[in-house]
Amino acid sequence: MRNMMLIARREYLEQVRGRAFRLSTIGLPVLFAVIIGVGYVASLGLGANKHLVILANDASLADAIRTQIVSDKDGTPNVDIVAPASPDSRAQLIQQVQSKAIDGFLTVETQPGGLPKATYTAQSSGDFVTNDRLSKALNDGMLNERLTGSGINSTDADALVKGISIETYQVKKDGSVVRSNAQASFWKGYVMALLLSMTTMIYGLNVARSIIQEKTSRIFEVMLATVKPSDMLAGKLIGVGAVGLTQIVIWLVTGAAIMVTPFAAAILTGQYAVHFSWAEGVLFPVYFLLGYLLYSSLFAGLAATCETEQELQMYMPLAAAPTWLSFALIILIINDSNSIWSILASLFPPTAPIIMFLRMASETPPIWQFAVSITLMVLSIWATLWFSSRLYRVGILMYGKRATLPELLRWLRYS
Amino acid sequence: MSVVELAGVTKAYENKIAVNHLSLSIDAGQMFGLLGPNGAGKTSSIRMMMGITIPDSGTVTLFGKPFQRESLDRVGYLPEERGLYKKMKVIEQLVFFGQLHGLSPQDARKRSTAWAERMEIADALNKKTDELSKGMQQKIQFISCLLHEPGLIVMDEPFSGLDPVNAVLVEKTLLELKDRGNAILFSTHRMDQVEKLCDSICLINNGEAVLEGKVREIKSRYERNHVIVEFEGNADFLNSEEIAEAKNFSGHAEIRLKPHGDAQKLLHQAAAMATIFRFELIEPSLEEIFIQTVGGHANA
Repeated sequence: MRNMMLIARREYLEQVRGRAFRLSTIGLPVLFAVIIGVGYVASLGLGANKHLVILANDASLADAIRTQIVSDKDGTPNVDIVAPASPDSRAQLIQQVQSKAIDGFLTVETQPGGLPKATYTAQSSGDFVTNDRLSKALNDGMLNERLTGSGINSTDADALVKGISIETYQVKKDGSVVRSNAQASFWKGYVMALLLSMTTMIYGLNVARSIIQEKTSRIFEVMLATVKPSDMLAGKLIGVGAVGLTQIVIWLVTGAAIMVTPFAAAILTGQYAVHFSWAEGVLFPVYFLLGYLLYSSLFAGLAATCETEQELQMYMPLAAAPTWLSFALIILIINDSNSIWSILASLFPPTAPIIMFLRMASETPPIWQFAVSITLMVLSIWATLWFSSRLYRVGILMYGKRATLPELLRWLRYS
Repeated sequence: MSVVELAGVTKAYENKIAVNHLSLSIDAGQMFGLLGPNGAGKTSSIRMMMGITIPDSGTVTLFGKPFQRESLDRVGYLPEERGLYKKMKVIEQLVFFGQLHGLSPQDARKRSTAWAERMEIADALNKKTDELSKGMQQKIQFISCLLHEPGLIVMDEPFSGLDPVNAVLVEKTLLELKDRGNAILFSTHRMDQVEKLCDSICLINNGEAVLEGKVREIKSRYERNHVIVEFEGNADFLNSEEIAEAKNFSGHAEIRLKPHGDAQKLLHQAAAMATIFRFELIEPSLEEIFIQTVGGHANA
């Protein structure tokens, strides 16, 4: 135990004193803030400064659509109307698109007794933001025109078309009701899940890298004459895990300090109300530790079979697969965080840490699900450690060539 | 009482027997050489002694007790594959290794400083390991296995990477440790050092002991059929029929006599042709015994 803690301490001090730790502690949250900030700022201007043309037979419908487009608060494009439409005017507009005089044109063909047919022609086929806005403007404009056509005054018609926005409130576990914002809650969960997956992966791979460096520097032979391989592995896992926890504690404390400032208070109670619970504060380090131990114990075994970091890289897809799978399930979780698939994914050990935080963004799952997920993770860690420690104790003394699969199976039998 | 004893130890890897029924014993105050060509099984034997690998059969006894990890606190080990943490400062590294062997941080620091002064590397204590030369790193590794004052010191090629001055410093230190009652085992290819330092040797080949015992006793088993002649004048006596092989280095000749070759007859022939300053009949060197014993069977 004493030697295990000495190894853990050495690993901890070496990594905490390193430049990489300082950079990632400051850099990761700053990077996230920049990404979210840039994304938000960029989205404000989406669709602005576009030059669009509406080509329609019905001039009043075209005007109603135009009114809807230019009233959009997120983007105020320059919109012209060409009515009535003719094959010549369509050909001219295609030429203008080609010469980039305009960004695109919306053709609205009205049919007696039926819904109009609409097409949007532009140089870019991937501008789904403009497509969505035009679609909404077309529907709202048409509805407005039909309502005013059926005798409803234009103010009432505008109000009906504009619709009523809903303010959302969330009932917490303690019975309190707080204002919430589904989008803000989603982003909170997303960022926490992303931080969790990145730290888990980074520190898991740090263990692997450290083992390969020790193997390359041939220090294992010196160490093994004093320390048991199991103590060496445990010391390494504890040391590197403690580095990750230190980083998370720094982030939590800094985050808590920022949250009590008036600036944060204004944001947290305003339109983008985000609530952090104690459960999230406690479960974040818990899931980090479990995820880290699962990853690092697996990668410790694999690293012991490698000669160089380049060889280790062939296992990278294995490291990234749970993260890819977790984030691929986002839509499923947003739609219904309590569906059977969401629950199963949050109990499946490789995806549990990330999915749990994505689920918690919309609603805190019941305690039994946390208990089952944590138990399953602990059992998986135990099984992975059993497998890895066997590879580790043989692999660290094997130099010169990469182990083949039959050799790995023999190593498992040796121990 | 033996400090370390291997009794009928065998270790096999897949289809190769690395060590086959090897027995040896080292007493306190004894310097023991474990010799053999590359791949003979030296490192495998040492690894079993250190508990790094476990023998398939046979027993390892340390300090009179069957092997147990606790006994390793009394062993200093310098493996063939050296290893230090490259980014750590030398003093931190030495304190870390000292602590792993049960020393307190204060004690480990004090002893590290004293040893660094003795090994003439005190200036390097606050440098990172990767800033140091190979020879200096070797000395740090050497210190790290002596910090806890082990009763048994096991060193695999302790002189590799050392310049002659530092090699003498290490030799001197090992002799002092031996005089203080430490048991020392070292494995090397440098037969001159074995001859100079070791009391006993075990020569292994293909995992088996092929020659063992006290150096003096082993050498006495071989006929004194080597002659050193220092002379001036006609060197034709080097073509004598008593000689199997002769090397002439401008007045200094090293001669191997034929089996039952007559040294006295050779002396008369030499004296008749040249002025003889030295004519010495000597026993074969360990290197010659090594080559003669291992012959063409080495796996190197």
